[in-house]
Amino acid sequence: MLKWIRWSGLIGFVVVVALLAAFFVLAAGPLVKMAIESVGSKAAGARVDVDDVAFNLSPLGFELGRMTVANADKPMENLLEFQSAAATVDLAPLLLGKGIIRDLSVNGLQFNTTRTTSGALEKSSSTSKQSSAVADAAASVKDSVVGNLPSASEILARESLKTDAAGSALKETFDRRQQQVNDALAAVPDDARLAQYQVDVKAITSGKVASLEDFNERKKKLDALKEQFKADKKSINTAKDLIGDSRTEITERLKQLKAAPGEDLASIRDKYQLNATGAANLSSLLFGDEAGEWAQQALYWYEKVKPFLSSGGDEEQQAEYLRPEGRFVHFPTDDPWPEFLIRHTSMSAITSAGNLAITGTDLTSQQRVLGRPARIDIDGSELKTVKALAINITLDHTRSPSTDLVSLEASDWQLDGVNLGLGDTKLDSAMAQIQGMAQVQTDKTGDALTGRLEGQFGQTRFDGNGQTVFAKELLGALNSISSFTIDGRATGPLGSPKLEFGSDLDKQLNAAFKKRLSAKQDELEAKLQSQLNDKISQYAGAYADDLQALNNNDSKLTDKLAQLEDLAQAKLDDYVDQQKSKAKDELKSKATDKLKGLF
Amino acid sequence: MLSSLAKLLKALNSETAPWQIALALCLALPVALTPFWGLHNLLILLVALLIRCNFSSFLVGLALFSLLAMVVDPLSVRLGESLLANPALIDTWTSLYQNDFWRLMGFNHTLTLGGFVIAMVAFAPLFVVLRVLINQYRHRVMVWVNKLKVVQVLKASKFYNLYQSLAG
Repeated sequence: MLKWIRWSGLIGFVVVVALLAAFFVLAAGPLVKMAIESVGSKAAGARVDVDDVAFNLSPLGFELGRMTVANADKPMENLLEFQSAAATVDLAPLLLGKGIIRDLSVNGLQFNTTRTTSGALEKSSSTSKQSSAVADAAASVKDSVVGNLPSASEILARESLKTDAAGSALKETFDRRQQQVNDALAAVPDDARLAQYQVDVKAITSGKVASLEDFNERKKKLDALKEQFKADKKSINTAKDLIGDSRTEITERLKQLKAAPGEDLASIRDKYQLNATGAANLSSLLFGDEAGEWAQQALYWYEKVKPFLSSGGDEEQQAEYLRPEGRFVHFPTDDPWPEFLIRHTSMSAITSAGNLAITGTDLTSQQRVLGRPARIDIDGSELKTVKALAINITLDHTRSPSTDLVSLEASDWQLDGVNLGLGDTKLDSAMAQIQGMAQVQTDKTGDALTGRLEGQFGQTRFDGNGQTVFAKELLGALNSISSFTIDGRATGPLGSPKLEFGSDLDKQLNAAFKKRLSAKQDELEAKLQSQLNDKISQYAGAYADDLQALNNNDSKLTDKLAQLEDLAQAKLDDYVDQQKSKAKDELKSKATDKLKGLF
Repeated sequence: MLSSLAKLLKALNSETAPWQIALALCLALPVALTPFWGLHNLLILLVALLIRCNFSSFLVGLALFSLLAMVVDPLSVRLGESLLANPALIDTWTSLYQNDFWRLMGFNHTLTLGGFVIAMVAFAPLFVVLRVLINQYRHRVMVWVNKLKVVQVLKASKFYNLYQSLAG
């Protein structure tokens, strides 16, 4: 049996395998370093540098020195870097070319650190410059709109005012009516004429009627006076009607003139957005830029990671790399071997807010092979500004549609100097409790985002350096608010979700603005009112007396009319009575004389 | 390759046992019909080195059967697919899949399994056939071939000198 054995062959095999192993041990470090830098640079779009990589046999694994990943958009900045990392790998999968990392620990992880040399692979596009230019332009527009509120005089000079129009209409009406009234009054008998009438009537009606001819003469004169009275009465009535109409029309014009300043004020108020309605949705405006920036950061990392998550499901594509035909068929197991897997990782991240503990489990590009979703947990306790922070990310691409979920919970978050992006105002300090959740479902039709964020902000204090009226009033209004809540929602495609922000800050700011602006508005309105009143006086002041004079004329005309009525009626009645009485007395005297003759 | 072919001819014409040549060729068959870079092939190589088979024949067989593999691969893949998807065998595969050794063997790869099964099925018949053919060659063909003019011309060529130097 032993003669079949070729011992030299066995020795040769062992030597060859040992040489291969030795080569692997020696070359593994540099090969891994090269692979990380090459693949990493392609993935990040910028330089990825690793100081050194050492291969260990016991425990089997790698130790990495300082590693930096440059920011493709800011080449002089690192997206992240860490001081050292250690990974232990499973041997059996490694022999099949599968990188199964049992445990990966990363120390001194930092984000957005500065570089001494550029990390650009090639000239970056001017997208960031364009976006910053757009932002500058937007800020400029915002300043031009918000920062240059005109003064009351400028507004009055600039606007087409109803007060002016109403004043002009009143002036025209009054002038026209005054002419008509003056013409009518000219035809009305004056006091001297009325006195003459009285004298004439008295002369006609007083004294004894000497004869029938005398009576007839007096009657003729009286009739002539009556005709004159009729004509005068007609003139008086015409004047009275004209005065009445004029008074009605002028009163209406005056009413319009008095209402005009209020209408002008309302119009100006709406146009220049000085009231609380204009600031109703201010909270979304305040936090829109900041929230957008955070969302962009999150989306940046998500978009970076996502291709690696979704590429692993299709095993047929993987087979092409091994041989034109053939594929691996996976069976249920507690220990699946994807092409690459980090079973567990722990990192200590150094941020400006303090240290964060980041743990990850089942991180792989082939979740369908693994059968479990990837999970990343970020925990921060006793941070500088946050008492407790917990971010849990679950990336489930084990089935279609894939579901990625992130939840956030921050308690006692001491916000400090959050720029509100409006009127040079900032949230100087606040204690926030924040809970959030976002879910991205991906299928053949694309990504669908559903997100919700709730925040309770207490002990708020606002500060600002704005010099504009708006900025000062905004700050004043904000400082009257001690707590508020924010409710953010995001729905729709991941690239262009519909963002909605709700907050009771709207109502509070609305009320605060009303209160703050009411004083300012009162002041401005008083100025406007004053100047509009001046305009009213300018238009209406001179005519008020004339209108009163018209009323007086009307009253006088009424008196004159009554007087004429009296003259025409009362004096003639006295004359008839006198004639009757005289005739009666004569008849009585004649009868007495006849009776005396009989007795 | 030329020297390997020369060694194969030398082996065929030498006192090397026919089974040694046949076994080497048969061992080359699974290596050629399955993806080369696999732990199963390392074990086959170990066997080829350890057992006193003709290693030159192994290398020549590997080259020849690799040409054959281009034709057989699609069949191997289909066979591997059907075997791995066979409900009656699922439990077996699942059981093997729990063991790191078998996974290292790459049994769950369709081309590996299909090619290896074809090679194993063909192994014994091929071994017998090759051994018979080698014996027949030595007893009948080799004498007749040596008498051929073309062989005599070859013997005068550089290739034959090389063959001779190796044989020497």
